[in-house]
Parts: sequence; C-alpha cells; structure tokens
Amino acid sequence: MKKMNFKISTGILMVLLIASSCNDFLDINENPNSPITADVQLVLPQAIVASANVANQFNTYGAHFGGFMANAGGFSGFGNLLSYNLTPGDWNGLWVSTYQDPLEDLKYVIDKTEGVDALSYFNAAAKIMTVVNYQRLVDAFGDIPYTDALRGAEGITAPTYDDGAAVYQALIAKLDEAINVINSAQFPLSLKSPTDARAYDPLFQGDIDNWKRYANTLKLRMYVRTANGAGASSLDLTLGFLIDDAIVNPGYEKNRPNPTWNSWGRSAADALSNSSRIPTTFSFAFYSGSKLTDGGRGETIYVNYPSTPTNQLGNEVNNPTIVSGQVTWASNQAGFEGTGVLKGPSMGSPLMLKAESEFLVAEAMLMGYIPGGLVGMRDNFYNGIKSSYAYLFEDETGAMKDTTGRVETYKTTNSPNKLVIIENATTTAERLEAIITQKYIAMNMITSDEAYNEYRRTGYPISKPGQGPSVDIASNKSTVTSRIDRLPTRILYPSSEQSFNSANFRAVDYASERIFWDPN
Amino acid sequence: MFVLSAWAQDRVINGKVTSSEDGSTLPGVNVVMKGTTNGSVTDGNGNYKLSVPNSGGVLSFSFIGFLTREVEIGSKSTIDIQLESDVQQLSEVVVSAGGLIVQKKELGNFTTTVKASDITAGKTSNAVAGLQGKVPGLLISAVSSGVNPNYRVVLRGQRSLLGNNQALLVLDNVITPSNVLGNLNPEDIEDIQVLNGAGAAALYGSDASNGALIVTTKRGKSGKTEIKVAQTTTFETVSYLPQLQTKFGSGTTPDTPPSYTPYENQQYGPRFDGTMRIIGKPLADGSIQTVPYSYSKEGKNEFWETGNQNQTDLSFSSGDEKGNIYAAAQYFKQNSTVPWDTYNRYSFRVNTDRNIGNSVKVAVSVNYIASNTDVSSQAGNAFTNVLMSPSQVPLTRYKNWRTNPFANPNGYYNEYFDNPYYTLENNRSLTKNNYLQASMELKWNPIKPLTFTSRLGLSGRDVFNKVTSGKFEYSDYTRSISGGSKTNDIGAVSDFGQKTNQLVVDLLAEYKANFSDFSLKAVGGFQSRDNTSNQIFVGVNGLVVSGVYNVSNTLTNLGGGQFGSHYSQFGVYGDVRLGYKDFAFIHTTMRNDWRSVLAKENRSFFYPAVDASLIVTEMIPALKSVDWLGQLKVRGGYSQVGQVNIDPYSLNTTFFQNYGYPYASGGGFSLGNNLVAAGLKPEITTSVEAGFDLDLNKYLASIGMTYYKSNTVDQTIPVQVPSSTGFSTLLTNVGEVENRGIETYIRATPIETSYGLSVFMQATYTLARNKVISLSDQSDLLILPGGVGNARIVAKVGQPFPFLQVTEYKRTSEGQIIVDANTGYPSTDGSYHDVGTTAPPHIVGLTSTISYKGFKLSGTAEFRTGHYLYNSITTAFDFSGAGIRNTWYNRERFVVPNSVYADPENDGAYIQNTNVTTSTGGADFWTDGSRNTGIGENFTHSAGFWKIREISLRYDFPAAWLGATKYIKGASLSIQGRNLFIWVPKTNLYTDPEYSANGADSNAVGFTNINLTPPARYVGGTISLTF
Repeated sequence: MKKMNFKISTGILMVLLIASSCNDFLDINENPNSPITADVQLVLPQAIVASANVANQFNTYGAHFGGFMANAGGFSGFGNLLSYNLTPGDWNGLWVSTYQDPLEDLKYVIDKTEGVDALSYFNAAAKIMTVVNYQRLVDAFGDIPYTDALRGAEGITAPTYDDGAAVYQALIAKLDEAINVINSAQFPLSLKSPTDARAYDPLFQGDIDNWKRYANTLKLRMYVRTANGAGASSLDLTLGFLIDDAIVNPGYEKNRPNPTWNSWGRSAADALSNSSRIPTTFSFAFYSGSKLTDGGRGETIYVNYPSTPTNQLGNEVNNPTIVSGQVTWASNQAGFEGTGVLKGPSMGSPLMLKAESEFLVAEAMLMGYIPGGLVGMRDNFYNGIKSSYAYLFEDETGAMKDTTGRVETYKTTNSPNKLVIIENATTTAERLEAIITQKYIAMNMITSDEAYNEYRRTGYPISKPGQGPSVDIASNKSTVTSRIDRLPTRILYPSSEQSFNSANFRAVDYASERIFWDPN
Repeated sequence: MFVLSAWAQDRVINGKVTSSEDGSTLPGVNVVMKGTTNGSVTDGNGNYKLSVPNSGGVLSFSFIGFLTREVEIGSKSTIDIQLESDVQQLSEVVVSAGGLIVQKKELGNFTTTVKASDITAGKTSNAVAGLQGKVPGLLISAVSSGVNPNYRVVLRGQRSLLGNNQALLVLDNVITPSNVLGNLNPEDIEDIQVLNGAGAAALYGSDASNGALIVTTKRGKSGKTEIKVAQTTTFETVSYLPQLQTKFGSGTTPDTPPSYTPYENQQYGPRFDGTMRIIGKPLADGSIQTVPYSYSKEGKNEFWETGNQNQTDLSFSSGDEKGNIYAAAQYFKQNSTVPWDTYNRYSFRVNTDRNIGNSVKVAVSVNYIASNTDVSSQAGNAFTNVLMSPSQVPLTRYKNWRTNPFANPNGYYNEYFDNPYYTLENNRSLTKNNYLQASMELKWNPIKPLTFTSRLGLSGRDVFNKVTSGKFEYSDYTRSISGGSKTNDIGAVSDFGQKTNQLVVDLLAEYKANFSDFSLKAVGGFQSRDNTSNQIFVGVNGLVVSGVYNVSNTLTNLGGGQFGSHYSQFGVYGDVRLGYKDFAFIHTTMRNDWRSVLAKENRSFFYPAVDASLIVTEMIPALKSVDWLGQLKVRGGYSQVGQVNIDPYSLNTTFFQNYGYPYASGGGFSLGNNLVAAGLKPEITTSVEAGFDLDLNKYLASIGMTYYKSNTVDQTIPVQVPSSTGFSTLLTNVGEVENRGIETYIRATPIETSYGLSVFMQATYTLARNKVISLSDQSDLLILPGGVGNARIVAKVGQPFPFLQVTEYKRTSEGQIIVDANTGYPSTDGSYHDVGTTAPPHIVGLTSTISYKGFKLSGTAEFRTGHYLYNSITTAFDFSGAGIRNTWYNRERFVVPNSVYADPENDGAYIQNTNVTTSTGGADFWTDGSRNTGIGENFTHSAGFWKIREISLRYDFPAAWLGATKYIKGASLSIQGRNLFIWVPKTNLYTDPEYSANGADSNAVGFTNINLTPPARYVGGTISLTF
C-alpha cells in the first residue's frame, strides 16, 4: 500500500514537472530588446524633439514652394521639384511623420496624464505641442483627420476628415484647455527635471509661463490667419505673447546634430550634407540690394556673401554650383561664423521666432483685431526686425554677436523704402505688405513653411512672374498655368491615405484648391 | 538435362558492373541469362563471371534500386555495364516525413526524389542550383549572382503574403535552418526527396506548410571501401549585360543643340564622330587625357573579368556489418567576375553508423562548414557608375587608382561620380560564416515490430562581418576646380556579429505489424525545438588614422545595436498507416503544436492530415496481363497545417529611442508605429491534392500528374493603416490566399540498345495559379516592402500574388497616351496600375541524358512564362543616357506613338496626334521624371525566359584500362557548363528575369536593380578518381 502510494505520488510529480517545464519552455516571450511601457517624462521630451524634427521637414517644403531654395549646378533629375507637377507620393513625409511620431506620442502623454493633477503640466505641454503639429497639417493639407485621428488602438483604422476651419476652432479650444489645466493645477510636478532643465522640457526648460505665452501666440496666429481675425478679441492680452524665441534643444551636439544642420550643414564627420541647392535669386534680392539692402543679416546667413551663388528655381542653364566645400546657408565671414540660420550642429531648433510673434501682433493691431493701433503696429513691426536680427546674430552657443546700430543702419540704408520704413507705407495694404515681407525675410530657412502660408494668405512678398529671377517666386519650369504666380496652391494628400483610407480620401487639384484661409 | 547443360556451358563471359551515377562498383548485382536459371552475382569489386552458351543470348542485370538492363551477348566475352539507379520505381523505399522509411507506393502525396548524380552533374557549388528544372512544382530562382549567389526555393507557389514561403529543409531527418542548404557540400548529398505539399510534410509540424526538401547525406556501405578524389576548375564570365547605347558621348541638359562636356557622366552630348577629344579636367600638372570620340573597346563592357572557381573533393567511405563511416572534405574557392571579390568555403563531414548488439543502432553526423566572403560593400554604386559611364571613356584603364593619376579620385574624368574601381576596392565587406551541424540518432529495436528512435540535432551558425570604407581627402587643387560634388571620404568601419542556434529533439516510437491482408504502421512522437539568436553591431563614421579599420579609431561616437531572441516550440504527433493486400493504403497524421511566440491562450493548435493510395494494377488482376502496363497508382490527400509567421516578442507595441535620443540631457522614448491585435493565431493552410503515377513497360516510361489546391487563411499580416491613426501597421490575422496547380512529369528511356546506347528524357510541366481571396476590412490592397517610386509589389484581392503595379502614362479611356498639345510631351498620371503576377504560372523543365559506353551527356533546360518584371535599373540608364531606349528616336524630336492631345474646341475630346512632336528628343525629354523615367510601364516587361541550365559530358574510363593499375577502381573526366544560354523577350533589355532586388527571403519578387552582379555563364572541367 505504502509502495503504491509512493508510485502514484511520483507519477503525479512527474506529470507536474513535465507540465511546468513545458510551460517554462514556452514562457520565454518577454521582450529583452525594447520596453513595452514608458513614463511620460521620457515620452514628452521625445515628442517635442520629434516636433522640431518635423519642423525641419516643413521648413524644407516651405523653402521649396515659398521661394527660398533653388537647384544648384552640377545636379539634374529634380523632376517635379521644378515642374510642381505633384504626384501622390510627394511630400508624404510631412503627414506621415507628424501623425506617427509627435502626435501619436503626445496622445500617449495626454491619455496617461488626463485628470492626474501631479502631471498637469505634462498634460498641458502635450496639448500645446499637439496644436503646433495639427496646425502645420491644416496649413499644408486643409481638411484632415482630427476627431477620429490617433485612435488606431481603439480600432478606428479609417479616420474621417474634419473641415480645416473646424480643426482650427478645436485647436483654439485645446489651447484654452491647456492654459486652464495649468492654471487650475493644485500640486503639479515641475516640467523642470532636477538633473537637467532640458530633460523633460527641451523647449522652455520647465518655464510654465512661457508655455502659456506660447499657447497664446499660437491662438493669435490662428486668429490672424482666419478671415477678419474672428475671435481675436478673446485673446488674453495680459498673459501676452512670446517673450523669447521658442527653440527646442535637448542637447544637440556634433554627433546628434540639430535636424536642420543635419539636412543642410555637415555630418558628424564634417562631410557636406547637401550640395544640390542654393538660394533663390528672389529671396537673395532682399539682402543684395536688388530689392532691399541687408548686409547685416546677409552676412550672417549666406556663404561668401554678397557673392553667394544664386539661381531661379527651375533654371538648369549654366546655373552656379555651390561654393566648393562650404555650407551654402552658413556664414564664412570672419567674426560671423556660427551665426545666422545654420549656426552649427548644437544650435537649437526654432519652432517659432519671437519676431514672428511681433509681426503677428503688428498685423493684429493694424487690422484692429487687438488694441494698439498704428503706433502699436509700428513698434511691433520694428521689434520684429530687431528680434530677427537678434536671433540671426546669436551664435551657436546662444551668445550675441554685436548688433548695435545694425537695425538703424538697415533702416537708413533702405530709406525711404516702405518695406523697411513702415511710416512711409500709407495704406493698409502697403503696411500689411511691409509686415508680411519682413516676416518673410525673418523666416528665411528657419520656418519657411510659415512664410509660404503667409504668402498664400496675403500675396506678399510680391511676385512678378516672368519678369526675372529676382522678382519671380516660382520655378521657371512650373506647369501650374492656371494661376498668375504659377505656384501650386497646396500639396496632395499622401498616397498612403489613398491606399489605406480610401473611404475618406479625396483627390485634390494642387493648382486651384486652396486652404480655407487662402483668399488668393 | 546433361546434354542441355553441356552445350549451354560453352564459354565464360566476365565483366564489371558499375553505377552510372558516379561510376562506383556495384557488388551483389544479379546477372542472369534471360529465360534460364543460369546466373551469378557480382563480387565486392563489382566483377562477375558466368558461363554462357556459345550461341549467345540475353543477359539481364538487376539490382535493387536500379533499373534492370538487358544486354545481347553476341560474340562478346567481356561485358562491362553501368546501371541507372531507379528512384522513381514504386517499390523503391524512401525516407518520408519524420525519417520513417516507406515504400513509394504507400505515399498518397506527390514527392520526387532527385539523386546525387543529377544534383552534381553541372558541378554547381550550391546544391540548390542542381535542382533547377528537375522537379515539378518546385520553383528555384537564382535571385543574385556573384560570389555565393542566393536562391529562393518555393513549392506550389507563394501562399503566405508576408510570412515565409520557402520550403522547409530537413537534413538527415533533422529540421535545419534553410540557409544551410546553400552552403552544403553538394558532393555529400545522397539524394533529395522533395515533398511538394503540406500534406506530405505535415508530420514536421508547423513549418511544413511550404513543403519540404529532405536531404540525405551519404553514408558508408557495408563491404565496400572507397576513396575518391576530384578536382573541378570552372571559369565564369558575364553572360550578358543590359543593352546600352554606343552612339552618343558626354553631355547634359540643356540639349538644344547637344554640347560636349568633357567631365560629364550623362551622355546627352553630340553623336560620336571619331575626332580626338579631351575627357575630364586637367590635372594639377596641366596634363589631360585625349581619346577618340567613339565607342571605346576598353570601356564599360569589359569591366567584368573572367572569374574562376576551384573545387577539390576528397571522400572516404567504408563499412562492414558492424558499422560504417563516410568522411568527406571539400575546399571551394571562387574569384568573381567582379574585381577583388572572392569567396572560399571549407566543408568537413563525418557520418558514421554503428550497430550495438542486434537491437541498437547509433548514427552520428557532424558537418562543419566555414566560408569567407570578401566583396565590395558598395558594389551597387560601382556597377551603377560602370554602366552609366560614357562609351568613349576607356574605363578599364582606371583599375590602378592608387598609381594612375587619371584613375585616382583627384584626377578621375567624372566630375560627379567616383571611379568604380576605387569604389569597389575602397569599400569592402568581409564575412565569415561558420556552420556546425551535428546530429545523433539512437534506434532501439527491442522486439521486431517496435522501434524507438531518439534524435538530437544541433544547427549552429556564427557570422562575423566587417565593413570598411577607406579615407580619402581630395587635393586642394581638385577642390578648387570642382563644385560641390567632390567631398572627402571620411572613412568608416562597422562590425557585426551573430550567433544562432537551433536545437531539435525528436522522440518517436514506431510499431509495425501485419494481420492477414492488412499491414499497420503506427507512430507516436514528440518533437521540440529551441532557437536562440544574438546579434550585435557597432560602427563608426569618420576614421582618424587612414587604413586602421577598428571602431576605436574614430572621430565620432560609436553607433551600435543589439538584438537577442529566444523562441521555442514543441509538438506531439501520431501517424498511422494502414495497408490492404499491398495495393491499398491509407495514412493519417495528427499533430498538436505549442509555440512560445504566441500568447498563452493561443499557443496550442491542432491539425490533421490524411492521404491514400491505390495501386490499381495490383488491385485488378485483369490489368496485370496488359503487357505494356507496368503499374498504375492513384493517390490523394487532405491536410491542414498551421504556420506561425510572427517573430518573437511581436505581441506588443514597443517603445524606442529615436530622433537622436539619448541626449546629454537624458533619454526619450517614442511609441512604436506598429499596432498588434489581441489574440494572434497561426495561419492555417488547408490543402487537397490528387494524382496518379503510371509506369509503362515500354521504354521504361512513367507519367504522373498531380492537382492541388490549398487555401491559407488567417494570414498574419501587419495590415497597413493610414498614418492618421497614429500608426503605420496593425498586425492581425486577415486574408486568404488560394493556390491551385498541376504538376506533371513524363520520363522515358526511348532508346536502350545492347551496344550501350541509352537515351533518357524527362519533361516536367508545372502550372501554378494563385489568387488573393480576401484581405483586411480597410483595404483590398497590401503593399509589400521593397517597392520603388514607380512600381510596387502588392497583394490585391482578386489578383494573383505577388502582383506588380506600376505607374503609367496619362491615357484616354481607349488607352491612347495623352500628350500636351504644345510640347508633345506625355506625362504620368501618378497612380499605380495593374500589370500582373511576378511568379511564373507556367514552368517547363526538360532533362535528357544520353549514355554510350563510358560517355554520358546530360542537359537541363527550363522555360518559364506568364509573369512580369520591373527593372529599376533603367531609370538610371535613361537619366544618364547610357541605356538604349533613349536612342530609339536617334535623340531627335518624335511623335509619341499612338498618342492624342486635347481638342481645344471640344472639351473632353481628343485629337489623334500625327504631327505634334516632343519639344525635344534629347536630355530634357529622356531624363525627365514626369515624361519618361517616372513612368513605370516603360521599364516593365515579361519575365519569361528559356534557359539552358546545364550541359555536362562525362567519360568513365573503362575498367579494363584501369585494371592495369592496381589501385584505381574508377576514373572519370567531365566537362560541364551552367547557365549557358538564355532567351528572353525583346522587351527585356536588361537582365536575368530570375533576379530579385529584394533578396531570397522576400516575397516581393519582381524587381531587379543595378546593384546585382550581371548574370554569369560557367564552364568547367572535372577529373575524378576512385581508389
């Protein structure tokens, strides 16, 4: 009896052992290579840096359509970069990167922090960054998925599209919500990491007031862009607008360079990143004396200024090559190396310049959307120029090169030109032209996409098609014949939407369909 | 009686019997006077002696596993004879799934056995190549060339959209990673059994849905000791190149009129006129090259060199009743057609068996293979720059770029692209691969009907790869005369190491019994598999000291990565085979698998299979008397097999550091873009097949046909979702693919004469059709990775898979090309249009062997048609002006054929274009994306071909000659050629349509690109001695 029991229990033990060892044998599917959860403190900064990275893609797009960048000699095969003969595969990255990277990660942060008082600032910052990204999408694509977007994990795999103007309204509401979350937080954790101020917040280093001002400026930008500035009167003027450039810098360095430097500067090992593009004669004419004279900013921005090689987009006849071995958009002027738009690999990545904010305020005052009148407009206009100089004369480390008197010199050199001396502009149209043209100059190769947006909205700076490279913004190989300026009005929805969201995809005409705020 | 035998034993005839396969002697062959009982048996050296009547008669030679031969004696006194092995005979025993030995007639599913001599006739260095064109239903594509080319092996079409479709490899009964097959020493192979369908392979578990190749290696034979040495030398030449224009030299846009640019890579300059012209820019010392402005005979077509291959084989085999041993070594060395590229491989194998007592048998196999590959890491760039070189440039003069100032990067004529010789030699990739295969099998036969088998198999692979790129700084002078295109090479080095292991354990019990008319074989078994892999990579860009290729010699931070994986599975199975009167057989298998890569609740799955065969000729006695009819077998099967096509750790979306993270300020993580549906299940392939095999007595002919249909459901697919969901893919179970096809063969020996001439012929025809029945809810389209701008490979509902789509011209609804009324230019409509499948629906294979005395001539040809190919090579050819297309109109303005333009008066109507010529017929037209290079249909064509795969001629020296030497038992000499000829449709201007730019493991076949070494032709000779 005893013996039998022993046998039975041994048998049971054996079965258990085999069963458990089989489970051990199979329970090995835990990922040793990548995490499957992450703290919002690790996700928010990455989403902000991704937004800056996408900003660089938008800058390239804007530099191309907005008249800043032309093809250099020695290269061909630019194809529809010159003809604007857009196909569904073009510029897909703007859409794909924005949704998949910053927006998806920001959604993760918002979901994790919604209603969590301690993480209110993370929640608000994620919402503000969400607006930054969505606005860029609306401005490029018009109607976009918004309500249904980013909900793949909930099973919504064919998001419907929302009207662009409605998305603008929703974004303004989201900014209000973000400001409200900040204001009503009880015991919020700071965005400033105790170890490094850039760790959680590579944009404002944990300064929550700057986040609020940034939100307010984004609202201002949307109000100004919307017809008649509708809604601008609700702006919180006591909160004010950007008091500093909104620049992302998580600690870019030579090995992990600023994305714009990476695209147009040099690699970590000092190889030239790109040698197939040079400035357009159209944009260069704002520095060279052909339209305006601006030796100050010119020599911070351009190689070999003032004999920088330039070209009209599309011209492939004897067009100059880049200056051998040199970064085209980087100064090689003694004393000004490391300034301008390509300062160096460790420079920050601007999302919005203070100058832009000031030009927006100037316009809002000019149009009477906010109080301030012409005097306020004038002050903000000159402040905008000043801020543009200040940004460009800042070097890679943030130190200011001497700008004393340079704005004054600029004004005297170009006097009495109405584009610089705004007092000489007498009509609203002339004043607006001055504001937008100066904004265009300030955004050159920094946030070129905004310059292209404002060009489409206002028609400034003025382009005279067929009258020569310094006044013609468009490619001379443009196939857009239905418009006077021969520029496309927008880009197409990406082919991935055509293929995978065909129920909601709509084909658009890039030569005539306009974004809702575009009257031209 | 006495009288009869008196005249009958009049004289003595003798001779030697050898195998036609390898010339080895055959002991134990029955030699009988036909119609008498007078006979003899060959001895250990294959010799026989027999008294025969003076008047002669017919001698019959028979031996198990070989075709019986009959020879008229006539007045001969010596008859040496070679026997053909007969792998197709129904009574032949073969190794089936699980290592079980069965008779062919018992098999209800279609299988083919390819013997060693057929695999190695062409002396291919890769065993896979030896199977091409020889097996119905088997599609083997050489997707690349150069050193150690890759092959894609697919049975019965592609059924998994994104998962693995390649046949399972079983080496000596052990499941083995498929990359081993291409590295095996082909001389070690005894035979390859091809199990075409999932049914035949079901016992192997969830990887068998793609069919299987069962490779058996040689083992020593009892009573026979043999040493073989062989030496093969093969020469390799590029067999054809893309069609390039030879009329125009350097020049670029604008093109009116074309002007000559001495340093230009594009070839839109003036027509060749034979005058002397400078090329390039002057060197620092002022010297400059001058060449005739005409097509150079030292130019790009001569860039590829004559390669050579040397293969040395040594093998030893011996055995007695206690055990046996086979030991073999091979050294293979290849110098490629690509300058500096080399490959070598060492292979050692020991197979040994030992009987312990009467009931236990131990079998051990060990194979070690070490290979070294030294190729350029920038071959694609180099080939592009070769093929895109202007024709007047004597390119082959520039090999010595270190010493020749015009070849040196500083003085190279081309302003924009590097000297391809420099690119090749300065950018190298060295790969060391070590494979270790070991298996041990223990069979215990305690009582006659019962056998226990335990088998342990290990496959290990180590890879070490080093990629180096030399540093080069341009001189100040060169930089001063160049634009932005001369940027210094900063040097780079990266190291990659990987270790993978697969351990397979099989335990099975087999019971055999006979009850009156019934026979039973029952098997129960357990199998487990454990896979581990670890890879690590580290690399740097920018070297400090030139020529030191170590990652510590750097200007930048080290970049790197690491990936580890561990996954396992086990299965239990049962297999029952029931026979009735030796003519009816039914066979079922059941298996349950557990896989670690699936979630706990889904990781167990069960699948059954059943097949049956009936030997009609045995069943119906009346048929036995039909003397032309040998044997007729009808067969059929049904099976279900589950396959798990997901990688380990893919059940969750993961986070990763991106956008430069980590920075000095801290880390940053991003949520990955791949969603995973809950409850992922295995893909299930359900298949049926039916067919017959018929042997005819006349001409030793046999005919067979098999019809199959398989449906694969619940495909595990990362369904592409719109980015606006926040993700790019959703991994889920969707979609169904149906495969149908017919596999046929006919074999015959129409000529077989007493004086030694025999002609064997085989033809196979494979029809393989498939269709995507359904995909996801979101889309009826799945785009496979690996597409290019103008073309993509997709799965599309209602269409075969893989399916090619390309961009086309903007056309009217009638299909006419719409051109601009002013410029005459066509344009692309920017969207993708259907072309067709990229897998051949029709394959014909022809094999023939003619033997006469010691000579044996054999050849294999293959024909494939019905599929399409996109050459992404060619946009580059039109961009550079090197290709032939852009000279079709002599670079003059032309009217686009069959074109219309919009009727200005009548909206929506078109006018036939007879007079609006293109504004230019030069660079501005041909290099333009929207008018030409961006239009995919221009570079799309049929992928059909006829190929002479191999031809070989072997001569076995007669035994009588060798008798003089004491030691040499056999000697043979052969010459062989492979990939000798290819015929393609006129529309294919470019390359071998078997190529795939996406490599052997991608289902997205149907693209080629310029990175692939041009196809090669191989011609060689072998001398082989047996002691």
